[in-house]
Amino acid sequence: MEPLLRLSQVRKRFGGIEALKGIDFEVFAGEVHALVGENGAGKSTMMKILAGVIPDYEGEMAYKGRALRLKNPKEALDLGIAMIHQELSVMPELSVAENIFLGRQPTRGRVVDWRRMFAEARRILEALGYPHVEVERALGDYPLGVHQLAEIARAVTSGAELIIMDEPTSALSPMETERLLELIRRLAEQGKAIVYISHFLEEVTAVADRITVLRDGRKVATLRAEETDKAELVRLMLGKEARFFERTELAARAREGKPVLELTHLSRPRAFEDVSLALYPGEIVGLYGLIGSGHFELAETVFGLARSSAGQVRVAGKPLRGGPRRAIREGIAYVPPSRRSGLFLEKPVYQNVSLPWLDRLFGPARELAAARRVTEEVGLRPPDPARNVGAFSGGNQQKVAIARWLIEPPKVFLASEPTRGMDVGAKDEVLSILRRMADAGTAVLLVSSEPETILAAAHRILVMAKGKIVAEYASGEVTKEMLVHAAAGELKKSA
Amino acid sequence: MAEKRSRTSRLAERARELAPVWTLLALIVFFGVYSESFFTLENFGNILNQVALLAIMGTGITFVLLTAQIDLSVSYMATLAGVVAAYATAGHLPQPWPIVVALLVAAFLGWVSGAATAYLGIPSFMSTLAMSLIASGLSLYLTRGRILFDLPPLSKTLGSGRIFGVKWLVIVAALTLLVGHLVLRYTRFGRYVYMTGANPKAAELAGVNTRRIVAWVMVIAAFTAGLAGVVGIGRLGSATPTAFDGMLIDAIGAVVLGGTSLFGGVGGIPQTVVGLLILGVLRNGLDQVSVNIYAKTLITGIILFAALVFNILFAGKKES
Repeated sequence: MEPLLRLSQVRKRFGGIEALKGIDFEVFAGEVHALVGENGAGKSTMMKILAGVIPDYEGEMAYKGRALRLKNPKEALDLGIAMIHQELSVMPELSVAENIFLGRQPTRGRVVDWRRMFAEARRILEALGYPHVEVERALGDYPLGVHQLAEIARAVTSGAELIIMDEPTSALSPMETERLLELIRRLAEQGKAIVYISHFLEEVTAVADRITVLRDGRKVATLRAEETDKAELVRLMLGKEARFFERTELAARAREGKPVLELTHLSRPRAFEDVSLALYPGEIVGLYGLIGSGHFELAETVFGLARSSAGQVRVAGKPLRGGPRRAIREGIAYVPPSRRSGLFLEKPVYQNVSLPWLDRLFGPARELAAARRVTEEVGLRPPDPARNVGAFSGGNQQKVAIARWLIEPPKVFLASEPTRGMDVGAKDEVLSILRRMADAGTAVLLVSSEPETILAAAHRILVMAKGKIVAEYASGEVTKEMLVHAAAGELKKSA
Repeated sequence: MAEKRSRTSRLAERARELAPVWTLLALIVFFGVYSESFFTLENFGNILNQVALLAIMGTGITFVLLTAQIDLSVSYMATLAGVVAAYATAGHLPQPWPIVVALLVAAFLGWVSGAATAYLGIPSFMSTLAMSLIASGLSLYLTRGRILFDLPPLSKTLGSGRIFGVKWLVIVAALTLLVGHLVLRYTRFGRYVYMTGANPKAAELAGVNTRRIVAWVMVIAAFTAGLAGVVGIGRLGSATPTAFDGMLIDAIGAVVLGGTSLFGGVGGIPQTVVGLLILGVLRNGLDQVSVNIYAKTLITGIILFAALVFNILFAGKKES
């Protein structure tokens, strides 16, 4: 049988980096073909080639037996290749039907034929197994699962035969996820081909017919879903030769006294649910999760940037309420995952460092002196606190973001992705600053989606998946494989 | 290599920052050459007198622009404060209470539009636009469209009196600018104003209550506008329901001409002083060289527009 789409020996390089190193891939009509791999394995590059976003690559693509080269996403769509991005492109203010027929509403003469549009939308949703959705209502009235449905229905009505889905379940509730997986199976039964990209391996093995594993821009294997399992997939994704920084021997610190930060049953809708944890002075707790699992949102909420809907945060036994100002006063420090949102690039280092402390530290001379002390502590290069932050390298900007909290050592330090995008040397420096802070008695919550970062510094590791803490490691050997496996999540049955 | 590039780009930035100063110097030289009466002490006194009211208003606008907000109600607020002061004087409220009440009314209305922006998220251009109607409406309602001639004595003194040969009006303007400068440069509040404008998200992360800062700068803008109105009626000799309505564009224009960024975080009172002088010299000089008087507004408009384009290009450069 002829595959619907075939890639042979596809290569793509970005500057000096080879993102794809000769990929062979085929997908058949009526098949769900999953694509898995770590961040940076080449999934998204491959996806963009399939959808016509990247037109310049080496190698061949054949669609329905004809060799072709897609020049843009429009051309791909016209041929029947639709892509559904993680960030949905729907308009919540418009009706469900309008979203389905966006840009190609049925018309009578020059005006939209509303009655026909509604009728057809109803027919399509019925065929997809969602007869209860009212097509006249605003899409925004419905939960995210229906937004996804609208986008899939749009692809189907536009005549798509190959649908590429990028992490379609990352924002969905377990029940919505289950319904989406059913829908995907139904589409395959109707003869569509689906390329399904996901980190959630349980879902992948449940929905896919075949699974292709990518690693470092190469195809490692294509397996039949019923002949493999999550453990084998994780092994294939990570490769055999685990490097030294991909495993660690945990030695949880002896917990002295009372916890300094306690979260009890903390929830925030669409972010995390029923999270309880305790942090003790002097320990570094790694909080690992895939992007979208709610760990960044958790740190943000504890710092007071967003409200929780239920549960409690306590610092040194006292309930904490209010915004960042209050949190800072209670001894909580926070570094956001995105450097740009936390720093004033057009302002000198010392003004960046002193801002939370101006009530006791104001005046250029005093601020400069304090900034000089803490930037020396973090090893800022060049050591010039009068220079604008924007003039420093990324790693040194991050040091500024951390140095701010050394003016008065915090009780709790929430560090979200503190080493993102840094070279090995800079990473090491930042992690040793965290270690020194812990040694001085600060409780550090190291929040990251990079297992290596967590393994390099944590005394204890928590793993979050889909808004919940799903695993805790307090002693013994922990490997990257274990973390990725835990974060890849269980397929929750909605009981 | 990188060091060298960053140095030349810093020089370029410096040149851009100083562009308003070059503009001012060029204008002075130009009018000095083409007009015989321009380069006289008396004429410089005239220029200062002409921009004094704008300076008082511009001080508050500088605060607002530094937080990346705008206040479109300042001129109407000035009119209202003048009307309230005259109305209360005519109603025999003992002095100096009419002036106090006028300033409090302005500050309160500023707080209302400020709170609407800071806490309800109504864009400041809209909340102050609506507030300008309220202020203008109150002025009309209180005066019933008439001109009020009973003015507080203090308004008359500050608006048209002199001390040691210097106009009180100019002194009040200078003091307002000075206080504004000291607050922005040497207080915590001033730093919060800059940081809130430079990156509101980052300011919040550092514990700055950015909403309160935004609400407060709009109170300040309304207060200085009110002060301009209270002094301004003394200069005009009467309070009318539309006395200062035409000052809006000039007041905001002067601040922008000076180089304070429309996107917040960059600029200050020294820049505003330069902007005021550019506007004053331009207006005055165009009179001196006897340009067709019907072209004056057009020329001022073109220069303001050019300054805006420059302001945006400058900010765009910083982004990249």
